[in-house]
Amino acid sequence: MSQVLVIFRAKLRMARHEVASIRDQSKLKVTVITVFASGLWLAAFGFFFAGFNWLIEFGGEAGSDPLKLGDIIMARMLGVLALAVFFMLIFSNVLVSFATLYRSREVTYLLQTPVSFRAFFMARFWECITFSSWALAFLGSPLILAYGRSSQASWSFYVAAAAFFIPFIIVPASIGCLITLILARVFPQQRMRVMIGLAAIAVGLLFLYIQDVLDVTRLSQDAVLAVVMDATVQTQSPLLPSYWATRGMLAAAEQNYGECLFQFLLLLSNALMLVWLAAEVAHRIFYPGYSFLAGQDKTRSKPLGKGILGRLDGFLRWLPNPSRALVVKDIKLFWRDPTQWSQFVIFFGILAIYIANLHGVGSSRYTTDMWRSWIACLNIGSCTLVLATLTSRFVFPLVSLEGRRFWILGLAPFTFQQLVRQKFWLSVCTTSLFTVGLAILSGKMLNIPPIHFWLSIYSVSMANFGLAGLAVGLGTLYPNFHEDNPARIVSGMGGTLNFLLSVMYIAVIVGAQTFILQWRAVERYTHPETFWWALGIVLVLITMLSLASALIPLHVGLRNLRNMEF
Amino acid sequence: MIQTEKLTKQFGDNTAVASLTLKIGAGEFFCFLGPNGAGKTTTIKMLTGLLHPTEGRAILGGHDIQKEPVEAKQLIGYIPDAPFLYEKLTGREFMQFVAGLYRMTESQIADNTERFLELFGLDGVSDQLIEDYSHGMRQKLSFAACFLHNPSIVIVDEPWVGLDPKNIRFVKNFLRQKTREGVTVFMSTHTLSIAEEVADCIGIINDGKLLYTGTVEEVRAVAKNPGTLEDIFLELTQEDDG
Repeated sequence: MSQVLVIFRAKLRMARHEVASIRDQSKLKVTVITVFASGLWLAAFGFFFAGFNWLIEFGGEAGSDPLKLGDIIMARMLGVLALAVFFMLIFSNVLVSFATLYRSREVTYLLQTPVSFRAFFMARFWECITFSSWALAFLGSPLILAYGRSSQASWSFYVAAAAFFIPFIIVPASIGCLITLILARVFPQQRMRVMIGLAAIAVGLLFLYIQDVLDVTRLSQDAVLAVVMDATVQTQSPLLPSYWATRGMLAAAEQNYGECLFQFLLLLSNALMLVWLAAEVAHRIFYPGYSFLAGQDKTRSKPLGKGILGRLDGFLRWLPNPSRALVVKDIKLFWRDPTQWSQFVIFFGILAIYIANLHGVGSSRYTTDMWRSWIACLNIGSCTLVLATLTSRFVFPLVSLEGRRFWILGLAPFTFQQLVRQKFWLSVCTTSLFTVGLAILSGKMLNIPPIHFWLSIYSVSMANFGLAGLAVGLGTLYPNFHEDNPARIVSGMGGTLNFLLSVMYIAVIVGAQTFILQWRAVERYTHPETFWWALGIVLVLITMLSLASALIPLHVGLRNLRNMEF
Repeated sequence: MIQTEKLTKQFGDNTAVASLTLKIGAGEFFCFLGPNGAGKTTTIKMLTGLLHPTEGRAILGGHDIQKEPVEAKQLIGYIPDAPFLYEKLTGREFMQFVAGLYRMTESQIADNTERFLELFGLDGVSDQLIEDYSHGMRQKLSFAACFLHNPSIVIVDEPWVGLDPKNIRFVKNFLRQKTREGVTVFMSTHTLSIAEEVADCIGIINDGKLLYTGTVEEVRAVAKNPGTLEDIFLELTQEDDG
């Protein structure tokens, strides 16, 4: 049996044990996560379906040939999405492959066995693909189904989509691994951070381009079709794998099987060629790169802890120990972990694009109460979703990241209540800084009415408590002490539950506000006093829900931690 | 200083430690011996509060570790066999972090951090990330951090892994010196020659049950073929297996 198959078999057995361990988990937890995950999938489907239908109708309004116009715009949008996903997968694979090929504990074991570097790479390569692409399968499937349903595609479209998926994810995975292999071989370790930072900036610029393409304000302009077509013309380059995939799927939908097969073979042959190329490159340069990283002189030219991070302890002197020690430790560990701050950079890149585009939306074009209300409500939704992303990605793993070092905290003379409280307040203070700031900035730029503005500030402030409590509480209830990679921690069951509950929380508070503000926009002149009563009820609802979201998970999580054995 | 009363730990149907009763006085060097899977680490984890006993209790410096964990932990220093530390902190930062957890004053932190880093030969690498340390350096950092807050009870789980002969001798002498200063040392080890050399008292555990406890001479007296501690250990644990 080949070495790759031996490793696969072991991985498969591990996966089976992992699945079998679900049986030992709480039935309630499994049911809740399954129901919420299904709900999220259905909501995504509904969202995409509505979006595609809107595009079709939009085409109809334009007049000339409704069906054709809608089809063209939808096809272009599919191309844009595929291209965005393609570049995101490359970036994601660069990060995942560096951890999987060079930093994983398994690497040390495998490298001392007589496994060839080619076999080693192939085995790790599939792990990279699984970790970097599972989310695409989860969120891409409702998109494809929605596209098929709204364009009334034949069954062959769905078959083609499933067939194109594998080679489509292999191409960016191979490119991502190739980039990592070359970077690890060519650049010293210290510059790896710079390279990841540059890659993050590149992805940010790509988002800037894509955002420009998807700028909804342009769709209200007269020359909309020309704008969309011009902006998306590069996504239709026949040199792009994303084009081969979308073109092939659309050909299948049109029952043009010849072209579908051609595009599929084009994509497959390129995928296989890239896998071969990556394996050959790995065979030649992986080990020198690995040795280079492992054998570097550990003496640092500039001692660590002397810059801003070194002064952190002084800045926080007002905070009593052990909270100060824990806060300083958490901030230093966060800052020194490239997988954390590179995602932080991408996140803020996207946020910057959002802020940069608010100006156009906040212009005097939208003067009616109803439109201004809608804009304000959508902005609250955006701010709270930003917050949910921050808490899900960065706050939820805080307890898990203590990992096998938990013995240090377990032995220290303080209570777990102090530990959980520290994580909670650290989260509230840091996320509030960004999200309340975002709410103020966006509110000003959108020029929303005062009542909308103050309501959004209050909601976002309360959401900081609610979502931080939820993330810290669930992170304590479902910790994963065996994993050091925060991205893997959040993709577990507890992380998924946290995200789904965060989205539900947002849906309730944004829904309540939208209801009251829209009602005001319509009824303000007929029932002014009733509005204030209703507003009071909404404020109480937001407050109560936020307190419950924070306190209940924190209480349950703390109880779990106290009963835990290490 | 350390007292256990019928300390028991069960994992499902498996009894890892059965009704362990021990009494170790201040300044005593106690070596806990036993084959793999005998229950040594489980006992240590119950003593340090990392595991909840199924029955019985552990009292450290007069404080029940389950009922008064904060007071008991203030007295303990622990050195694990596998030193998992915060890889992205430097050695000095890790020491400062631990000092903060024990609520040491600023001057104590500054003095003790430098003193122990130097004592354990880590002053030259104290500004490097722990991820760059060798296993032995990590082990030495665990020792340095353990003594930072002047514990009166030190619990050590197989401390010799990764240490070179020079450092083994240093640590051995250091621990002996600490017992002379009144610190109680509870050490689990497989290195019987060292146990024989340093222990005031030994305990032999097998299958979760404490077989014998007493000085090396007292334990030697109950063996059929008295010899080195290794001979006695093998005889007693084999007898129990049989």
